Amino acid sequence: MVSKTEETQLSNLETQVDNGGGGAWEYLSLVRKLKVRRSDRVLKHGLSILNDPKKRSSLGPDEWTLYEQVAVAAMDCQSLDVAKDCIKVLQKKFPESKRVGRLEGMLLEAKGAWAEAEKAYSSLLEDNPLDQVIHKRRVAMAKAQGNVSVAIEWLNKYLEIFMADHDAWRELAEIYVSLQMYKQAAFCYEELILSQSMVPLFHLAYADVLYTLGGLENLQNAKKYYASTIDLTGGKNTRALFGICLCSSAIGQIAKGRNKDDKESPELQSLAATALEREYKHKASDKLSLLTAALKGLKVPS
Amino acid sequence: MGGESRYEIAQNAYMKIVLHALKHKSSAVNAVLLGRVSPTNDVVEITDSVPLFHSHLGLLPQLEISLILIEEHYAAKGVNIVGYFHANERFDDYELSGVAKNVGDHIYRYFPQAAILLLDNKKLEALPKGKDRSPVMQLYTRDSSKNWKLAGGEGSSQLTIKEPAANAVLLDYISTEKWQDVVDFDDHLDDISKDWLNPELFK
Repeated sequence: MVSKTEETQLSNLETQVDNGGGGAWEYLSLVRKLKVRRSDRVLKHGLSILNDPKKRSSLGPDEWTLYEQVAVAAMDCQSLDVAKDCIKVLQKKFPESKRVGRLEGMLLEAKGAWAEAEKAYSSLLEDNPLDQVIHKRRVAMAKAQGNVSVAIEWLNKYLEIFMADHDAWRELAEIYVSLQMYKQAAFCYEELILSQSMVPLFHLAYADVLYTLGGLENLQNAKKYYASTIDLTGGKNTRALFGICLCSSAIGQIAKGRNKDDKESPELQSLAATALEREYKHKASDKLSLLTAALKGLKVPS
Repeated sequence: MGGESRYEIAQNAYMKIVLHALKHKSSAVNAVLLGRVSPTNDVVEITDSVPLFHSHLGLLPQLEISLILIEEHYAAKGVNIVGYFHANERFDDYELSGVAKNVGDHIYRYFPQAAILLLDNKKLEALPKGKDRSPVMQLYTRDSSKNWKLAGGEGSSQLTIKEPAANAVLLDYISTEKWQDVVDFDDHLDDISKDWLNPELFK
């Protein structure tokens, strides 16, 4: 998960390095820290350092970290020869290393040699049954081969042991959403909100899933979580503002049919609508008329 | 029913969605197709496309908002939503997902000749090697039993690109990594100053 400031910092560095302005090592370190996937650039800029003996030696012990990072990036870009070379260097430096053993397993994955990769990982797990990375590689392999149900099963087993792994919960939620298993996805977001209640992203995702599930109770809850997202983001989250408007409209439709007294706070939706119009006027004025028409269609007073 | 309808996609509409898919190589992506039925020969002309999302394709709120805004914009020009484009996450996945079918069904309610286009990754990969002028996507239409059926076989001309040299132009854009400039609805919702109409993309 990357914040907006981190994203800006990353793309600034990226432009700088792409245009020959130096800072390759800073860029590569930031990519590692933020755990983002920029494999084509990592490969390009990483190799430029590794292939230059002076630059390489100036890294000191970080040289090996870079070999590992470039190996993974190379596999992502299907440059398997580069990956193999990097791994060979690491094997020479760290024989018997489990961390290098993992890379060997990943290389088998990259080649599509699923059975061999599975064997490699299983044997590594025998000596180290609590290796989180390898457990997750097996889930990734199942996913890559299209065995989504196996991936889900293993990911669930993994989370029984490593229930604090937020990335794994998010991955599971995303898999469920892609399969339209919204109740299960909601459960994952509930776990995330329980353990990290101040992260707006989880509130937002949860609200989105509740809205998708539909029904009066889910819509009312979705509205609450859009509201908490707005709270946690100081009113700056466009998706949550739209969410409020969509919920109000949908709730209004259901309540109308039931003749129920849905004494929802109408202020919330008009506030959201006003906030949206202000934002669009400020940053996307050519789309303002579209927005106003859309809000009118949703019957949201503003 | 769109069983035997012919579809013609304009070059820019076509390139935009392929480039969008290439921008997000490790995710599923989707897009909405806009156009009209030709009054002269009943061909469904796909004149434009709007790339939608590259994450959480199965969630409703962003889809609903995007469709409302898109319809609002294009209705003023007499253009409506005529189809849906989907690219699966995995290279060799040629299955039409539930999400794709649901969106397709929704569009079908308003436009019975609705089409679903599915990115054909193997064809896309083979593009630089041959002189194929056919689009790198599969066409699905609704048959009489309400199922989405794959149209035609090899060499079927039910889906064509309006400009014959489109693939050559596309390859050119790919080589210059033009996909970096494609803005989708996800990008817009994250930063509304980004324009999902992509007005300057092919200028």
